[in-house]
Parts: sequence; C-alpha cells; structure tokens
Amino acid sequence: MSSNGSSWLFVLVTHIKRDFLINLRSLTDLVAIISFMLLIIILFTFGIGPIKESLDIISSAIIWVGLILALIPSLEKTLNKDLENGWFDQLLTSPIPLEIILLSKSISYWLMVIIPLILSTPIFFILLDIDLKQTPWLLTSMTIGGLAISLVGLIGASLVLGAKRGNILLPILIIPLMIPILIFGVGINEAIKMDEEPINNLLLLIAFTLIYLVISPFISALLIRIAIAR
Amino acid sequence: MLNLNNLTIKRGNNVVFSDFNTSFKTSNLTVVIGKNGSGKTTLLRTIAGFIPIENGHMSFKKVDMTINKNLWVEKLIYIDTKNGLSQDLTVLENLATWVQMKGWSTSRDNLIKALRSVEMEKYSNVYISQCSEGLKKRAALARLYFSFIFGVEFWLLDEPSNDLDKKSIILFKELVTNFLKINGTIILTTHDTNLFKSKYEVLDLDLLKEKIII
Repeated sequence: MSSNGSSWLFVLVTHIKRDFLINLRSLTDLVAIISFMLLIIILFTFGIGPIKESLDIISSAIIWVGLILALIPSLEKTLNKDLENGWFDQLLTSPIPLEIILLSKSISYWLMVIIPLILSTPIFFILLDIDLKQTPWLLTSMTIGGLAISLVGLIGASLVLGAKRGNILLPILIIPLMIPILIFGVGINEAIKMDEEPINNLLLLIAFTLIYLVISPFISALLIRIAIAR
Repeated sequence: MLNLNNLTIKRGNNVVFSDFNTSFKTSNLTVVIGKNGSGKTTLLRTIAGFIPIENGHMSFKKVDMTINKNLWVEKLIYIDTKNGLSQDLTVLENLATWVQMKGWSTSRDNLIKALRSVEMEKYSNVYISQCSEGLKKRAALARLYFSFIFGVEFWLLDEPSNDLDKKSIILFKELVTNFLKINGTIILTTHDTNLFKSKYEVLDLDLLKEKIII
C-alpha cells in the first residue's frame, strides 16, 4: 500500500499491460493508421513523378511527414476514451501519481502503435526507392523520434481533453512541438546522403526526446486535473 | 468524522456551495438527496478531491485532507454513474487493473470472490461492451469487496442503485451493512428514498443545505 519505487514500477507495468490489451482488441485502428500513411506516401510519389533525382532529395522527409500525419488523428482517442468512461476519476483515487500513469500511456502508445507502424515502413521505402544504407538509420531515428511524437501527443491530447472540436485543435497545437523532431530526424538521413557523420543530429534528436520525456507527463497531468475539475 | 467547514465550491462561474458546513460521522450511512442540479455529484466529487475547493476546509479525523491527499485517497473508493470500466476489457480484467491501480496486490481467488459478492462470477470473461447497464454497475460495485481486505474507510457512491434489479439491490445492501459493521463511512446519493429502511442520515441539499436526522 505504500507508494515506494517498486509499486510505481508495478503500476507502470500494469497500465502498459492494460493498454496493450485494449490496443490488441482494436487492431483495426492500427490498420487504419498504417493504410493512411501508405496513402500519404502514394500521393507524394505520384505528385513528384518518375524523376528519381527529386525523389532522392525528399524521400526521408516524406516518410517523416507521413509518420507524423498518420499518427495525429489517433492521438486524441488515446485519452478521450478514458475520460468518457470515468477511468480518470478512478485514477485520481490511486495513491500513485497521475504523472507515472500518463508516462505509461505514452510508452504503451509508442510500443503498441508507433513501433508497429515503423516496422511496416520498409514497404514504403521500396515505393520511395530509399537506399539500403539509409534504412537502419531511418528506422532508428524514427523509433527514437516516435517516442517524442508520443510524448508531444500526450500533451496535445490532454490539452483538448473534453473539448468539442478537439480533433481540429489538436494538430494546430502540437505541430510546432513536432518541428524539432522532424528537423533532426530528417537531418540524420541528409547527413548520410552527403557522407557525413549523422551522430550530431541523432544526439539532438535524443536530447529533444529526453526533454519531452521529462516535461510532458507533468504538463499533461496538470491539464487532466483541470479537465476533470470542470 | 469527516468535517466540511465553510466550504465554497465553484464550477466554472457558478457557485454551487457557499459557506457550506456539515459533518459525516464515522461508521454512518449518509444519503444525499436533492433535485437534479442541486449539487449532489459536485459534493461527492469535491469530497473525493476531484474538484478544488475555492474556500474553506475539509478534514478527516482532524487531518486536513486537502494537504494530505495521498493518505486520503488510499482510504476511499469512489464509484459514479460512469463506472470507470474499459469497454475493451472483460469484467475480470477491469477489476484486476483497478485493484492494481489502487496499489494493492491480490490473488485471483480474491478477484473471483469479489465478483461473487455481486453475483458477477459467471460474467467474469464477458467484455464490458457486451454488458447491460445493470451488469456494468455490478462490475463496478464488485470493487467494494476489497474494502474488507485492504482497510478502506470511506465509500463515495453516486447513484449506486441505478440500473440495479431487486436481487442486486439486496446484494448491494448486504455490502453496505457489512461495511458499516467494520466502521466504514458511506456517503451516497440517490433518488430512491425507499432504498434503505434501517437508520441512516439524510442530507437534503434542497432544504437550505441543512442536515436532519430521521
């Protein structure tokens, strides 16, 4: 019953498990996200046309933009369901800080939605004719950046929690926070294309992810308490 | 004893309670009644600590609970009309996550016993999305069983008897009686004035927010 470190970890794992089961039972959501990303990339490839040089210049940027755009519509749902069914009220009667629980939500969204999406991207690499040399770097950077996207999404989702037009408001609010992730994520692959060291961009991407990791559970918990008090 | 002193509660710009005073005795059942919109739910949510207090004090056993919030929440179970059940989980999974969320660890046996206390045992593997409103309510009320294991002292129940059939109401009343026996305190809201026949206190929010004893 004491709220020491081990019981926090226990609750963290419990919640990841809970979200895993919920996500597993709504797999169609994941399929929708993957097909949305596929559509974005198909549209880009047709828009650019058959010129290989122009595709080479922007291919990694398309993948990143596709990743962010495909994820945005699903972000709002992650928290809204739990507000509507009253789960957040129950969470406030837990001795474990809400911040820990929200962190677990971000981690489980990353594990259960973003990583499967990233694992499906190699199909898109073929469409965009991305170099084999770039593939591991692109996957690594998207995995790290994916956690940052999930954390930023947490802030956004709690900001629009209970709002009527949340799905329109949310992208406007969080896209500015996604820009650093996009710049350094794409930067890694730009460096590789020019035969430079990608490590600087990678470190900056990790740095931003860590900053979001520290601040987003706190901001989000604050916003949720306000939403529940309404 | 839970004391509310000079409480002012606002929701948005509406003042729901101003200079509100009342107390709830330990091992007592208090039924909060009042017409729609009289602030029954607001009162319960304030006591649970969801709604910040604009002004005044709330103390339990002489300890200010707005400061010692963690000590307070460990002692209480709050169930409202929304139940807090995930649609995509089964009855048993919902109960298990709830218990773990409370920071408690329990065996599968105890979970089944809890479901048995509200006769939900045979629905343990049914998804909440397939349950009727009454079954959902019973799945939520199964949590009350853990009060007897983990020393919960306080129940805040918002319209617990809604959607329940006669048999389930009897089971619910049994839980209430047992909880009062172990010195538990209950505050519940209802529109059904004939719900309890034994002695209990009534807090009628319409009657100048005063307390009377039947």
